[in-house]
Amino acid sequence: MIHADVVVVGAGLSGLTAAIALAEAGATVQVFATGHAATHWSGGGLDIAGLPGVATPRAGLERLSRIAGHPCAILAADVPAALAWLQATVSPEGLTYLGDLDTPIQAVPTAIGGTRRAAILPAAQASAHNAWAPDERLVICGLAGFKDFWPAAIATSLRRPEVWGEGGRPGRVDAVTVELPGLAERHNLDALVLARRFDEPAWRDAALDAIARAVDAGGGARGPGRIALPAVLGLDDHATVLEAARRRLPLEPFEVPLVPPSVPGVRLFQALRAALRRNGGRIQLGAAVIRVDVERDRVVAVATAAAVREFRVRTDALVLATGGIAGGGLIAHADGRIEESVLDLPVDAPSVEHWLNRDPFEPAGHPLEAAGLRTDDELRPVRLGSHEALFENVRIVGSLLAGQRYLRERCGDGVAFTSGWRAAASLRPTEPVALVGPASGRHEGGHR
Amino acid sequence: MMPGPIDVLVIGGGATGAGLLRDLARRGLHCLLVEKSDMGAGTSGRYHGLLHSGARYVAKDPLAARECMMENRVLRRIAPGCIEDTAGYFVATPDDPDDYADAFLAACSASDVPAEEVPVAQLLQREPALNRAIRRAFRVPDAALEPWQLIHANLADARARGSAAWAYHRVVAIERLDGHLLSVNVVDVRTGSVTRLAVGFIVAAAGAWAGQIAALAGVDLAMSPGKGTMLIYDQRMTDTVINRCHQPGDGDIMVPLHTVAILGTTEIHVDDPDDYEITREEVAGLVAEGAKLFPDLPRMRILRAYAGVRPLYQETGTPTGDDGRAISRAHAVIDHGARDGVDNLVSIVGGKVTTYRLMAEQTANVVSRKLGVSEPCTTADDILPGQELGHTYWLGHRLAEHEQAGGGDADLVCECEFVTRSMLDGFLDANWPCSLDDVRRGTRLGMGPCQGGFCAFRVAGIVAERIANGDGTPAAEGGQDTAALVDQALTDFIRERFKGSRPIASGRQLQELWMVSGIYSGVLGIDSLPPAQPPHLEGEESSRDPR
Ligand SMILES: Cc1cc2nc3c(=O)[nH]c(=O)nc-3n(C[C@H](O)[C@H](O)[C@H](O)COP(=O)(O)OP(=O)(O)OC[C@H]3O[C@@H](n4cnc5c(N)ncnc54)[C@H](O)[C@@H]3O)c2cc1C
Ligand SMILES: Cc1cc2nc3c(=O)[nH]c(=O)nc-3n(C[C@H](O)[C@H](O)[C@H](O)COP(=O)(O)OP(=O)(O)OC[C@H]3O[C@@H](n4cnc5c(N)ncnc54)[C@H](O)[C@@H]3O)c2cc1C
Repeated sequence: MIHADVVVVGAGLSGLTAAIALAEAGATVQVFATGHAATHWSGGGLDIAGLPGVATPRAGLERLSRIAGHPCAILAADVPAALAWLQATVSPEGLTYLGDLDTPIQAVPTAIGGTRRAAILPAAQASAHNAWAPDERLVICGLAGFKDFWPAAIATSLRRPEVWGEGGRPGRVDAVTVELPGLAERHNLDALVLARRFDEPAWRDAALDAIARAVDAGGGARGPGRIALPAVLGLDDHATVLEAARRRLPLEPFEVPLVPPSVPGVRLFQALRAALRRNGGRIQLGAAVIRVDVERDRVVAVATAAAVREFRVRTDALVLATGGIAGGGLIAHADGRIEESVLDLPVDAPSVEHWLNRDPFEPAGHPLEAAGLRTDDELRPVRLGSHEALFENVRIVGSLLAGQRYLRERCGDGVAFTSGWRAAASLRPTEPVALVGPASGRHEGGHR
Repeated sequence: MMPGPIDVLVIGGGATGAGLLRDLARRGLHCLLVEKSDMGAGTSGRYHGLLHSGARYVAKDPLAARECMMENRVLRRIAPGCIEDTAGYFVATPDDPDDYADAFLAACSASDVPAEEVPVAQLLQREPALNRAIRRAFRVPDAALEPWQLIHANLADARARGSAAWAYHRVVAIERLDGHLLSVNVVDVRTGSVTRLAVGFIVAAAGAWAGQIAALAGVDLAMSPGKGTMLIYDQRMTDTVINRCHQPGDGDIMVPLHTVAILGTTEIHVDDPDDYEITREEVAGLVAEGAKLFPDLPRMRILRAYAGVRPLYQETGTPTGDDGRAISRAHAVIDHGARDGVDNLVSIVGGKVTTYRLMAEQTANVVSRKLGVSEPCTTADDILPGQELGHTYWLGHRLAEHEQAGGGDADLVCECEFVTRSMLDGFLDANWPCSLDDVRRGTRLGMGPCQGGFCAFRVAGIVAERIANGDGTPAAEGGQDTAALVDQALTDFIRERFKGSRPIASGRQLQELWMVSGIYSGVLGIDSLPPAQPPHLEGEESSRDPR
């Protein structure tokens, strides 16, 4: 049977962070995941603590760390180091993230003409975040035939001061639509297809020139300003595309993230996967974990059903990074039971009649958003209401952790990469290399 | 605007009102229909989608069964494009009494409902998801019926004959002098502007809201609205309508409709037809009953729950038709002249979508007699406009059209339901200003597995683009600005879809809901848009975390 020092279940930001950090430290690491993670759905920025009313991630983090039961209460002190490490890890793959804990949180435009508050962004989005000069222009640039970015709608909405909140905003917002070469006859263009076209040098230059002409023609190029483009500026060769765009366009461009598939999110996933492989780690998608073998309080093997036959890996430690309800790590049953999908660990969750508010836009968010697993300070899963670890060699990371409401507190990414980084640190020095005998029991769960 | 005086004002744009407008217009009357919301937004758009063969009623109400089958034949002729000829079966599960099945065929034949017993093995081969333990099976001419097209076809026929129909106009006051109604005030709910209409005659075809209209006219009409809940599954686990062979009850019928299948229903009394909630208990009860027909149902994915309100009415005394014939208690034409001393008001309540035409005919007969009009009813004779296909609807037609089409026709706005850009533009051209929910009813956009998660904001974007380009889509009257209009459209749509998700949220559907809220909140920043009009949230306080 194959052996890995650590098996990571889940290929999202938290699981990949843990896997890379462990592989860097010399562990053999195997990642299994049923599929793509929240990276492919979300905007590609790194939200650490962008809750309403706070000025910087550091201030937000300070506030979250004081909430009992919030993951940040355990993780806050590690965030700066984990962030710096993550930025250094993806940058060799051509992905630069700008900003740190003291970067002001600012409103940046979204693809429906709203704004979202952000501080740490990939370079392609980061210039959206710089302060606006009072006479500065924002040109929203759509691509003809692309149906997930509507410049007139976005511009109309962004002309309203209230959308921008307290901070600055452009003095003027315009909309243009550009026909890109050879796309007039194409239908149902999606963001990934467009991004791959931008990877082709000749087409890219022609496309960027077409955008430059349209912006000039619309009068957008006079005076200071920026161009908002849908986030499709290249996939595999993104850094080159971004560089070319800066050079060829008359105004500073920035990308606006779109509905899935999210190109900035896919770039982040690809950079993390490359970093993992660079450090000798292995990753397999399409591999649902169907069974975990347990001896006393230790996980000793993990079985997946990737192919027809079951595939079993013996391991000394398990990092559970299966995401919350969105990721598939938690399954909410119709009868009100919430099941952790791999080990059937106890889940801290509100009772079924309190899962969801009546109003989907209730600012506090749905109570069910905070559902998840409870851990000790080393991120080992515990029995509810106690500090007693249920498994010595299991770590819980990412949105599977109870107590966070990532859509309200804008803390999902920070919790994910910091908990992954922390789990790696905690497994590295303290876990003795286990003496692994034949698996003796099939885990049936039931720790409630 | 309406040229000339209004002979008859029809209140209510459901199937009944639309059918009535057509009937009266064909008799030469100059009529106006007003609907407080979108056409078909009442019970006619929130029903189960079954074109009844009548077999459900053969035991309890043979007359209603006979009427259903009669009208079933008529609708297949005049509105084939609204019908998918699925056929239907009544199956006896181990939970159903033997004697009901034994008496079923005889009861069908007594009501003129064609029915035949088929070998269980044959049906199981056709519908493999069915309970293998069913003991008997009977085939009947049930079918699936699309309501919105049907309503619009009726309205189109009436419009072609000089009558008019206004959506988003609510009747708010009726002026009465002694035993006669003089005028009606209608408010355009989008702009708030009020119009006073002088009317000769009023028919309330307001379904479960008929009591409210009667009250405006100073007349007492006690409706007893009954809420029925239905669950939409993400797949057609059956291609035919499947009914339990027993006295009709909860959760005992599955209707395949377009790309989905709908399980129904329940029946719970509600006081106010606009204020009801679907509970998790109700959903669990439906699924448990439905599992007797389809054992895998508890593991299948529910897209959303919705409910309609039955316009139930029980009058003491014998209901009569215009010619004195006994009519089924399933519906009633109420002449408020004889009953309440108001000589120019008639209400039509109860019934089915299946029998909408017959109800309209009986109502129009009463109105004609009172107005001294002698033209006969012709609504069963001519095919409805746009329905001259010569065959019934076929599920694959949008895919087939899409595959053939080039140009703008190939651009999909809603991938789940194959709604193309040109279909959307066509709808907006004809119906602007309208809401995203109207677009949904008109095109099926957002009705598939993603429930609008990926397409709602596209429509908002397209609408704004059309306004900006000035292509036939002016901003709404009354100076409401485009951005606010688009925000409102989007947030209303999300609220409406959420309402249907909340009672069924679990499993993969909850996971999807989480992803969609992640997209709208996390990626698109919907919370940053200025608050749209406050939502109408009644009842319990939402549970909040004290934090
Ligand atoms: C659409 C969307 C928008 C978001 N927007 C924001 C935002 O604006 N701000 C913010 O702070 N946060 C946001 N978040 C949250 C944030 O993205 C997440 O908290 C974070 O990325 C979680 O990462 P994760 O690694 O914990 O889990 P995920 O990214 O959910 O990954 C879970 C992984 O586990 C795998 N998996 C699950 N079960 C199994 C199993 N049984 N066997 C094998 N593999 C399994 C999945 O396939 C997947 O690879 C958003 C999330 C979503 C979905
Ligand atoms: C759960 C359920 C399932 C059903 N299943 C079936 C089925 O499968 N097959 C079948 O044939 N029948 C079925 N029915 C019955 C059928 O749906 C109804 O009987 C029928 O739709 C009633 O149509 P209507 O036009 O009379 O009423 P509605 O469609 O309710 O129309 C009345 C209209 O009046 C409008 N209105 C109210 N007040 C005002 C006002 N003040 N001003 C202006 N307009 C106003 C309302 O907005 C509404 O649109 C079902 C009913 C329910 C509840």
